[in-house]
Amino acid sequence: MKAVGARLPRYDGVAHVTGRTTYVDDVRIRGILWTKALRSPHHHAAITRLDASKAEALPGVHAVVTHEDVPKNVYGHLEALGIPADEPLLAENDVRYKGQPIAVVAAGDEDTAREAVELIEIEYEERPAFFDIRKALDPDWPQIHQWGPVYPHFGPHNHRRVRKGNVDRAFDEADVIVEGVYRPQAIEHCPLEPQTALAVPEADGRLTIYSCTQAMYFSMGVVAAHLEWPLNKLKFVGGTVGGGFGGKVDTATETICALLALKSKQPVKWRWTREEEFLASSTRAPWHMEIADALTNDGWILGRRMLTLHDSGAYARFSPYGVTKHAFHHTGAYTIPNVHFDGYVVFTNRVPTTAMRGFGVTSVSFAVETQMNRIAEVLDLDPLQIRLKNANRIGDTTANRITLKDPSTVPVVLAAADRIGYDLPAEYRSMTSDRRSGELLPEHLVAQLGVEETSGNGGGR
Amino acid sequence: MKLTVNGVEHDVQAPQLASLLHVLREELDLTSPKAGCQQGGCGTCTVLVDGEPRRSCLLPLAAVEGAAITTVEGLGAADELSPMQAAFDEHYAAQCGFCTSGFLLAGTALLNGSPGATREEVLEALSGHVCRCTGYVKIVRAVEAALHGEVHPERVEASFEPEETEVLIPGSPA
Ligand code: FES
Ligand code: FES
Repeated sequence: MKAVGARLPRYDGVAHVTGRTTYVDDVRIRGILWTKALRSPHHHAAITRLDASKAEALPGVHAVVTHEDVPKNVYGHLEALGIPADEPLLAENDVRYKGQPIAVVAAGDEDTAREAVELIEIEYEERPAFFDIRKALDPDWPQIHQWGPVYPHFGPHNHRRVRKGNVDRAFDEADVIVEGVYRPQAIEHCPLEPQTALAVPEADGRLTIYSCTQAMYFSMGVVAAHLEWPLNKLKFVGGTVGGGFGGKVDTATETICALLALKSKQPVKWRWTREEEFLASSTRAPWHMEIADALTNDGWILGRRMLTLHDSGAYARFSPYGVTKHAFHHTGAYTIPNVHFDGYVVFTNRVPTTAMRGFGVTSVSFAVETQMNRIAEVLDLDPLQIRLKNANRIGDTTANRITLKDPSTVPVVLAAADRIGYDLPAEYRSMTSDRRSGELLPEHLVAQLGVEETSGNGGGR
Repeated sequence: MKLTVNGVEHDVQAPQLASLLHVLREELDLTSPKAGCQQGGCGTCTVLVDGEPRRSCLLPLAAVEGAAITTVEGLGAADELSPMQAAFDEHYAAQCGFCTSGFLLAGTALLNGSPGATREEVLEALSGHVCRCTGYVKIVRAVEAALHGEVHPERVEASFEPEETEVLIPGSPA
């Protein structure tokens, strides 16, 4: 722990301030080709004709790639976890979001590549688009995804669920019920470095791929899957990521560069424009969360019912994972013995959504903490006292059946109060995370208490 | 066409309407100016043109004929950082580093032109430069440190002896 509290120089600090840090776009390889993509102008449409022959014939164009050139076109980001594939690398029969890539061109310079994209002949038949996740289960839902309106593979369910205790009884016994609806919106990560990759065919038949990915081995797996290649034919070179914030977890450019490099037998770079970043890069998801809490007049939370709708955009990508994390956190840092949680991954005609700084958790934390303030307001109680009272303590069991050994709610709330000079009565200021007893162990929290740890190993304090 | 960059004269082949950013990066292999947006919105491509910070993505080559261009490569090498570079390093003003070249040059122009700049003038000089990582506070602190001559390049030494630190979480293991 010697580094904690010490002022250490950044290992890359001098490289940054002398302009020597090598980002993907700075890798110097002679004779690279530049890439441009034909992207969908529609939110939702059938592709009725696609002919790239004129683009291929344009002088200066070295390769054009469509879905027909991709050994395994349809891929799922969570296939390794046994979740089926749903997203084409390049659109095949239909497009499901504005900006979805359909065909890509590699040419000697960006202008020629752009000109070639214009020469690709394509016809669409527009279809109704769907955006309001609250209407996903309405009978007039327009068919936009082969799996239906919501992601259907949470075990036997079409949603992630958490059940604990007897929530109906908690609501029967409640003095007050407080409800809240929370709707944080999409956010573009907007890293200053746009999505960029460079694929170089090597003399031994392998490919070297320079990537700005945040998830090197993951991206390598994605490229290998699409190419149907063994991993040992790929050499991935990462480096400094020019900002990612979660948006560089999805593999946006590497596979396309690999395919174009193999077809043209030349090094190929794809650097997105800022317009492409805003149009077609994944974003943080919009969410719709409804919470109802069963409360006593003195501020105990007896039970919680919660419904979450997560906007996955046009394909699943990592959304099921995000909703699972979300479900883990739906009681926040507080102990609620009776819960009923349903979380849906809803398909829309937005760009697919993805990780961003606490995937799935920031949204639910926002909802839970705002709800805590709302409870305090309705009950006319102090918002910090409510938090301290219901805080996780040693021995409490979470909604997903984990008995806590070292929860930090109490010290964190007290430290926050301290920092902002917030006045708390002495009995609150002296609270600890110790196992519940006396006033902090009301009737409704007795049954959820986990077994006392007797041995000294693993946690506790 | 002749182009003087960091004191060296180059004969460049690119067409007159090619952007200065493209020429610097692709023809002269000077990669410190970055293509963050290529439409004038982010500042990562900033270079000094006769001492003035300009967005190289918007400048056609023809517009800089005869001018002296400075990029970060021309500021100071690793073992002799300029005051602005040293201040950025000391104050952790570069996080991912992608925006850093632009901020460094905007700061350098301010230091050369108005070394007595106020906080407001610093903010004005840096406005239009986007940083998505730092939250700007450390960048402003670094530029002000350089303006005030408070740069300590000798600090940049590994130190594994922690100072006495404040305990943030009561009850946490000290
Ligand atoms: S790249 Fe020139 S301002 Fe963004
Ligand atoms: S340090 Fe990453 S954008 Fe500024």
